Amino acid sequence: MSPQSRFATFALTFAMPILLAACAPAPRPTAVDTVTLASPGSPLIAVRLMFKSGSIHDPAGKEGLAALTGLMVGEAGTARHTYSELIDLLYPMAAAIEVSTDREVTVLSGEIHVDKLAEFTDLLTEVVLEPGFGDSDFARNKEQLYSYLTTTLRATNDELLGLEAIQQRIFHGHPYGHSPAGTVKGLESITLDDVREFYRRHYTQANLLLGVAGGFPEGYVEGLQERLAALPAGEPATLELPSPPPVEGRRFTLIDKETDSVGIHFGYPLPINRADPDYYPLMVANSFLGEHRTFHGRLMQQLRGKRGLNYGDYSYVEYWESPPFTSKPSPNVPRRQQYFSVWIRPVVPDTAHFALRNAIFEVDRLIERGLTQEEFELTRDFLVNYSKLWAQTLANRLGFLMDSRYYGMDPYIEKIDERLAAMTVDEVNAAARKYLQTADFEAVFVTDEAAAVKAYLEADEPSPMSYNTTPEAEVVEADKTIQGIAVEPAEVAVVPVAEMFEGD
Amino acid sequence: MPMRLPRSPAVLAAAALMAAPAAADEIFPYAIHQQALDNGLRAVVIPYDSPGTVAYLTVVRTGSRDEVEPGHSGFAHFFEHMMFRGTERYSNDEYNDVLKRMGADSNAFTSDDYTNYYIIGPAAELETMMDIESDRFKNLRYGEDDFRREALAVLGEYNKNVSSPFLPMYERLRALAFERHTYSHTTMGFLEDIKAMPGYYDYSLAFFDRFYRPENCIVLVVGDVEPEAAFEGIERYYGDWKPGYKAPKIEAEPPPSGSQSGHIDWPAPIRPHLMAGYRAPAFSATTVETATLDLIAQLLFSESAPLYQQLVVDEQWVDFLQGGYSDHRDPYLFSIFTRVKSDDLVPQVQAAIDEHIAKLKEEPIDAERLERIKSHLRYRFALGLDSPGAVGFTIAGYLNLTGDPATVNRVYDQYQKVTPEDVQRVAREVFQPQGHTVVTLSHPQQSAAAAGGPS
Repeated sequence: MSPQSRFATFALTFAMPILLAACAPAPRPTAVDTVTLASPGSPLIAVRLMFKSGSIHDPAGKEGLAALTGLMVGEAGTARHTYSELIDLLYPMAAAIEVSTDREVTVLSGEIHVDKLAEFTDLLTEVVLEPGFGDSDFARNKEQLYSYLTTTLRATNDELLGLEAIQQRIFHGHPYGHSPAGTVKGLESITLDDVREFYRRHYTQANLLLGVAGGFPEGYVEGLQERLAALPAGEPATLELPSPPPVEGRRFTLIDKETDSVGIHFGYPLPINRADPDYYPLMVANSFLGEHRTFHGRLMQQLRGKRGLNYGDYSYVEYWESPPFTSKPSPNVPRRQQYFSVWIRPVVPDTAHFALRNAIFEVDRLIERGLTQEEFELTRDFLVNYSKLWAQTLANRLGFLMDSRYYGMDPYIEKIDERLAAMTVDEVNAAARKYLQTADFEAVFVTDEAAAVKAYLEADEPSPMSYNTTPEAEVVEADKTIQGIAVEPAEVAVVPVAEMFEGD
Repeated sequence: MPMRLPRSPAVLAAAALMAAPAAADEIFPYAIHQQALDNGLRAVVIPYDSPGTVAYLTVVRTGSRDEVEPGHSGFAHFFEHMMFRGTERYSNDEYNDVLKRMGADSNAFTSDDYTNYYIIGPAAELETMMDIESDRFKNLRYGEDDFRREALAVLGEYNKNVSSPFLPMYERLRALAFERHTYSHTTMGFLEDIKAMPGYYDYSLAFFDRFYRPENCIVLVVGDVEPEAAFEGIERYYGDWKPGYKAPKIEAEPPPSGSQSGHIDWPAPIRPHLMAGYRAPAFSATTVETATLDLIAQLLFSESAPLYQQLVVDEQWVDFLQGGYSDHRDPYLFSIFTRVKSDDLVPQVQAAIDEHIAKLKEEPIDAERLERIKSHLRYRFALGLDSPGAVGFTIAGYLNLTGDPATVNRVYDQYQKVTPEDVQRVAREVFQPQGHTVVTLSHPQQSAAAAGGPS
C-alpha cells in the first residue's frame, strides 16, 4: 500500500481565513473557520463542531461547567423543541447529536445519510443556536455527570478510575487537574445561570472550528457557515496553560477500594506534543515499548507473554481516550500538554510489586539500549501502515484533520508518513534518552490492600516471582535484576476511593 | 445466480463459485462472492471501496455454547488466546513480527456461538495473511509451559472485567435462566474453571482437533480485493487442511418452569443495578419472530421509546437503560439492564418496565410508529457500513448464525414484514412469568439518601 493511497480519493480543502494587506484594518474573517473533506460518491456526511470549551475553562469551584454546558446544548431541549421531541425527530433518520467534553474542547458531532441531510442540519443548528436551558434537562444532565463520578468511576470500572486518577496526579494544581465531568462539590454549586453565561461566552464564532466530510452537495458548507454566523462573534478563548507541576522522585498514590486485583499507572508530563518534530521519533520509541492493544510491544511481550502477569501492558506519549474500550487513538481530544505513561492492567496483589519493577526495567532498558536498526525499521514500517487504519472512517478522517488545525500543524496522519520516511534509528534513540526517564514519576495503584502495598513499597525488599511454569532462561536471568530494583518511593499516599473527585 | 468461470485449475475443483450482485431492493449494497473447497472450508469475498486496505476474517463456528464438558466453561475463549502461540514455521514472536511489519490491526474475540479472528491491513499483503492464518489454523503448536502461562493472562482478563457489576450480574442471570444448556455460563467461563485451566493442556489439544477444522470455519475477505485471485489463494493455502469436525452434543434447555430471581451485594457504595431476562427463541431469518423481537427492543428501549422517555428523561429514575435480543443459534434471552438512581426506586422502575411490556401484549401498537422504527433500522445499518472491518464484523455475525452471508438481506426483509399484530403476538409469547429471570445488585449498607444526587 502506498503511503498516500488511502487519501488519494479525497480532496483536502481548507477554507482559509482571508489574507489581509499589512496596512488594512483587521476585519473578521467572513466565514466560520472550517475543515472540509469531500468524498463525492459517499452517501454519508459527517458534521462536527469543535468549540474551545473544555474543563480547563471551568471556573474554580464550578468544576464540570464546560461538560454540563455541552450536555445542555447537545442532549437537551431547544427554544422550539423539548428534548423528547428532538429525539423523536432524529430517530427515524438513525441520527444522533453526540456531545463530548475533554480538557480543552467540546465537540458536537453527527453522521447522517445524504437523504436526510437537510432535516438533520436544521436540528443540529437549532441545538447549537437556540438551546432551551430547561430545569428538567439541567437536573438530568447534572445527574449524569454526578453518577459518572460517584458510581462509574468510584465503583464500576477500576481501569477508568486509574486512568483519571493518574492524570489528576500528574497535573495536580493545573487546569488539567480535574475530570471533565467535574467534581462532586463543583457540580453541586453550578446553577442554570452559570450554564447560560458559560454558553454565551464560549459558544462563539471565534471559538468554533467546523468540520464537514463526505458526500455533501455543492453549497452545503457555505450554507452551514452562514447559519452558524448567527453565533456571537466573540473573542477566541486563549487560555495559556501553566507548566505542569514538577515531579520529584517516585510518588505513589494508592486508591483504596474493594477490588480483587491491582491496576497500575505511572507517568509524568512531556514537554512536547504532536506538533513538535521530536514527537515522531518518540512515537516510534514508544510504539516499540508498548503500542496500545497490540502483542508486539516489549511491555506486553515481557509482562504478559513471557511471565503471564496479566492481560495487557502498554505505554503512551499522548492522552488516550477510553483505553479499555478502544484499540486505536480517537480524534477530537486535542491537548497542548501531554504526558508519558505506562499502563499495567490488573495483576494479582502478590505480583504488583514485581510488575511495577518489570515495567521500570523495560523503560530503562529502552533508554539505555535503544532500538537496533532492525527493530527500528520494523517499528517504523508498522506505524506508517498502522496509522492509516486510525482514519478508516469518514468521521475519524475528519476528526484528525480538525485536530491538526487545532494544533496548528499539517495533517497528522500524513505528517507521520513524512517524518518517519526520513527518520533514523539514532533520532529515535536520542528522543528516548531525551524524553523518557523513570526517576521522577507519579504512580497510581487501585488496590484493596493499600496498607500492604504501602508497606512493601516503603520496605523496598526484593520481590521474587514464582511461576506456574518453568520460565525461559533469559526470563530467569532478567528476573534476578528486576526483583531487586530499588523503587525508593519519595512518597506513598493512601486515598480512600470515596474521597476521589470530591473537590475542594 | 450468475456463474463465473474460474481461472485456475485448482479452483475448478471447488464445489461452487458464485457471485450474487447486490439487488436494488436488498439492504446489503455490496456483491457477495462465495466458494466452497472440497475439504468443507468456505470462502466469502466482498469487494468494498477501501483503496489499499482489506479485512481478513476467519469465523470459527465454535464458542462457549460448545463447552459441553463440565469444568471446561470458558475454554473456547481460552483457546482463542492459544491460537496466537505459534507454529513450527512461525513462532509466536515471528507471527507478531509479520503482523507488525504490515502494520495490521489484528486480534480475535469469542462469543457464545463463535470465535472471530481478524486482520485489517494492507491489501498488498493479502497473500501473507493467507499464509500466516492458514498456517496456524492447520499447524498450531505450543508447549505446556506456554499453555499454563496463557491461562494466567485469561485470569487477568477476568480480573479486569469483574470490577464492573455487569459481569457478576450476567453470570448470575445466565446461571438462573439455564439449567442444562451451555448458555448457563458466560463466554469468560466460571471463575473456578478459569483457575483450573492450567491443568488442561491435553484437553486443549483435543479441542483444537475437534473444532478447528475446515467444515467449521469460513474465511471472509472484505475490501480492496479481486474475488477470483482471493479464491485461488485460499484454495492454495487451505486446500490441504484435513476435515474432521466433530459437532458437540449440546443439550437442549427444557421449557422454563417458573420465574427466577437473585441478588448480589456489592462491596462498595453504588447505585442499584437491575438485570432481567425473558426466554426467547433462537435466531431465525425465515420467520418473523427474531425481527419482531428487534422491533420490540426499539419500542421499549430506544431513546424515543415511551419507557425510556419516562425513566430517563421525565422521571429521571435511571441514568442508563438498555434492552434487547441478541441473535443466538439456540433459544436465548431477551434481556434488560438498567442503573437506578436510588434503592427505594427499584420497585417503581421494575413496575414501569412491566407496565410497558403489558401494554405491548394488550393492544396492537400504532402502525406509523412501527414504520418509523423500520426506517431507523435501515438508516442505522447504512450508516454502520463505514469501513471494511465494520462490513466484515457484520457479515461474520450472520455467517456464524446460518453460514449464509446473504442472511443479512433476509433479516431486513423480515423487518419490513412485521405487523402490529406480530408485535402483540410475539410479546405475549416471550414476556411470560415462567421464563422471567431477575437479578439485582446493590450496596447492603447504603441508605437511599447516600445514593441520591446533588441537591
